[in-house]
Amino acid sequence: MDIAELETTAALAQIELGEGDLERLGTALSQMLAYFDTMSALDTEGLEPTTHALVKDNRVRPDAVVSAGLADDLLDQAPEREDRFFVIPNVL
Amino acid sequence: MTDATPAWKRFRARLTDYVSYAQQWEKKIGSFLSFRPDQVPDSAVAGPLEGLPFGVKDNIAVKGFPLTCGSKMLADLVSPYDATIVERLKAAGAQVIGKTNLDEFGMGSSTENSALGKTNNPWDTARVAGGSSGGSAAAVAAGLVPFALGTDTGGSVRQPASFCGVYGFKPTYGVMSRYGLTAYASSLETPGIFAKDLDLLETVFDIAKGKDDNDQTSLDAEMMTPRPVKTIAILEDLADLDPAVKSVYDQTCASLQKLGFELVAVKLSTLEYAVPAYYTIATAEASSNLARFNGIRYGLRPVYAENHEHLVRQSRSAGFGNEVKTRIMVGTYVLRSGFQDQYYTKAQKVRTLIRNDLQKVFDRADLLLTPTFPTPAFVHGDRSMNEFQQKLADKFTVTANLTGIPALSFPAGLVTGLPVGMQFSAPAFCEGRLFEAARRFAETFAVPDCPGASTEWSH
Repeated sequence: MDIAELETTAALAQIELGEGDLERLGTALSQMLAYFDTMSALDTEGLEPTTHALVKDNRVRPDAVVSAGLADDLLDQAPEREDRFFVIPNVL
Repeated sequence: MTDATPAWKRFRARLTDYVSYAQQWEKKIGSFLSFRPDQVPDSAVAGPLEGLPFGVKDNIAVKGFPLTCGSKMLADLVSPYDATIVERLKAAGAQVIGKTNLDEFGMGSSTENSALGKTNNPWDTARVAGGSSGGSAAAVAAGLVPFALGTDTGGSVRQPASFCGVYGFKPTYGVMSRYGLTAYASSLETPGIFAKDLDLLETVFDIAKGKDDNDQTSLDAEMMTPRPVKTIAILEDLADLDPAVKSVYDQTCASLQKLGFELVAVKLSTLEYAVPAYYTIATAEASSNLARFNGIRYGLRPVYAENHEHLVRQSRSAGFGNEVKTRIMVGTYVLRSGFQDQYYTKAQKVRTLIRNDLQKVFDRADLLLTPTFPTPAFVHGDRSMNEFQQKLADKFTVTANLTGIPALSFPAGLVTGLPVGMQFSAPAFCEGRLFEAARRFAETFAVPDCPGASTEWSH
């Protein structure tokens, strides 16, 4: 797999590649994709894709607010916060 | 309930003995990432599991415990809530004693991909415990807990169970709630249970199962009433098995015949395509599920970042290990525009073929018997078992995840001091058949205790 393809994929995956990563991931991805290509030997013409193991219908619930009451506990996990806000680097 | 249960129920009264037994083992096997026997309340909730300690794989939420997923990304995360299955087991009297080690985010077959600890096989500490739920399997095998929870996305409960000589059970998809599991591949994964005692495993399953409003894929399953298992399918074209696994497989077939089961030879022509289909779907779902880890609301935050995008990239690059990055990259690639039909849609159609193929097997037989994994536990760092080879070896386990059916790895033999497990698979909602046949098989081969392990944690 050429480096440009790898870098495009890494950008989409939001992962920064170091020097060693390029070679390692290039080899690993090429190997996996070549292996995936073996599926092309199977005739799947006219078959419906299975997207989920056993789920047949979509299940809906009433459009009502339900609180698990966890907001404060979750905020406590923030790596950086100010009052009840998550802090990130300045956008502007 | 079972022979081992009363002794376990007294463990709090003899906590000092228990802790010294556990610590002695932990120095050798490292099955837990957090272990807190001192925090277990003195009185347990009354119920069928009253006072039983259990271990929970560290990608399942337990209130007040870390939820690291074996990753640097979440090393400091503490869960503010319980997974539904944990909540139900607690309400039945069981008590969480610790969180067990795993391959990072459940990605691996050896627990060597954990960024936070090394787990060894209690049968031979030079060997891996399997994975990804290696810590749970090792803890049960060593007699540190009577049962433990894991997750099974492609065999992550059944394969370590085989390596450690315990039962490892994956239910029908949807029968046990996934709420509180850290999502890796949502259409494939289920929680699972480890135990050395089949009655206890079944009791735990009965308590944990059932519909959950917090998991829209969960079902109030109408479990099929067990009927006498008469026919068991075996594969005609089994190849590439380690000699130890082949000999246990042959013995198992002979024992089952002696017990009166009829063996039916079948072909599963799609088997060799199960692994590529599985990894296409699993990595695609992983790339999407793991997009949530960005170091903003929780998780690893870089010391300095220029801007928002830089922060996210830095967090993910430093927080994820190599195997996780590989799978996210593969998954991102197969979902890229222009490649989707070639890989992802193709894999989903292959999934349909596999399901049809398996349906034909269950038209002819009540159960399917295969090895759980082509090898016994391998040694740490075994080069013939690199990441890619480990993936190829998932061929017997991934089929159940692709099709949603239940499967059970059961201890079936010991070869040169190492346990080897075999696997029964059943049609959806026919869990009862798995337990019934495994119980019959146990008449001919009792679950082995690994040297130094006590089923009652203390002599």
